[in-house]
Amino acid sequence: MGPLVSKSSARRHAMVDPDVHLMLRVRDGDAEAFTELMRRYQSRVLLVLEHLVGDRDWAEDLAQEVFLRVYRARKTYTADAKFVTWLFTITNHVASNALRTKARRREVRLRPAANSSGSGRPLERLLQCSSGQIPARQLDKAEMRHIVRMALETLNERQRMAVLLNKFEGLSYADIAQIMQMTPQAVKSLLSRARLNLRQMLIPYLESGQSPELPADSSLEEPSEGTGNDSGGEGE
Amino acid sequence: MSEFSQSSKITDEELIAYLDGELEDAACRRIEQLLMTDPQIRRRLQELERCWELLDQLEPPPDDERLTRSTLEMVAVEAAREVEQSPPMWGKKAWFRLLLALFSLLLAGAVGFGLGWWAAPDPDRQLLEDLPLLENLDCYRQIDDFQFLKSLQERGLFQEDWPYEG
Repeated sequence: MGPLVSKSSARRHAMVDPDVHLMLRVRDGDAEAFTELMRRYQSRVLLVLEHLVGDRDWAEDLAQEVFLRVYRARKTYTADAKFVTWLFTITNHVASNALRTKARRREVRLRPAANSSGSGRPLERLLQCSSGQIPARQLDKAEMRHIVRMALETLNERQRMAVLLNKFEGLSYADIAQIMQMTPQAVKSLLSRARLNLRQMLIPYLESGQSPELPADSSLEEPSEGTGNDSGGEGE
Repeated sequence: MSEFSQSSKITDEELIAYLDGELEDAACRRIEQLLMTDPQIRRRLQELERCWELLDQLEPPPDDERLTRSTLEMVAVEAAREVEQSPPMWGKKAWFRLLLALFSLLLAGAVGFGLGWWAAPDPDRQLLEDLPLLENLDCYRQIDDFQFLKSLQERGLFQEDWPYEG
């Protein structure tokens, strides 16, 4: 895979990024700059991690790990890209490693969100919805949030990461590609599939406020992305 | 998964890239043209947009001072560990600085000595130059007339090879 963005262009963008300057101060031993970066990014990193791993406490641990890695890497930091790109590359690695370790322990079941009610897999809960165990009615905001969270959890890890970076960090395909070590074209395909999956899950709620019709082949690991795509070859 | 509008053959991928502002101008214009004429594409676009907006329900967690403090404490522990592990490194640096200081001192001394030698008059040098005169001073004192001595010098009487001269 060739360079996603030219080095000179990346450096040019980086030098106008105020957070790059903060990180350069961290590199030079400025503790206040590190605190400031943490204040700016902690909740953003936490949001992404929480929806990636599906558990608030775990996400907090991983967020701490991310910032610890930022601190450890300070001496070798170079302003080659936007700070947010560098930070979320670390975040992506930390989350991927954590999920892989968890998978190795055969704990394949996604943890329920800390504040979610009920138990069981999100999809099982959605099945409960579709089977009528949850009354059909207009959904209030908390329920809507819960449904959106569950819909997000039906995406695979890479789709979820791309969606979160695109939606909440407003990152371009090129930036997401850099973070996830893919091509922008692969990110385009990945996001497209993710958003179509979300549409399939959420449109029933939007249209009738009632339980969704689950796709017959819906699974946590989408078959078309379970092999090659997860290794970064998506859409290439 | 990707579906095509029968009338326009526009892919969902293109439609999503359009919503994300990732299409080039020409492709954007094409899609906008189609949006004006094809209600099916408009519906697909609206559905995608509405679903995307639903993600706004996932509000970011509020700033958590406890977590910030806890992380900063971890970083402080890490920093302390780095300092503990770094004495040999600092030792090397200290030695390097000490050697550098000594070398600078020697260099400054050498330069000062050279400059002093070059700039300050050497009293011995003058004495050496005047040695022929001093050795014959008693003879010269016998002659009171300075003009006479000068005429002797002009005749070359004093131009003997003197070992101390130039």
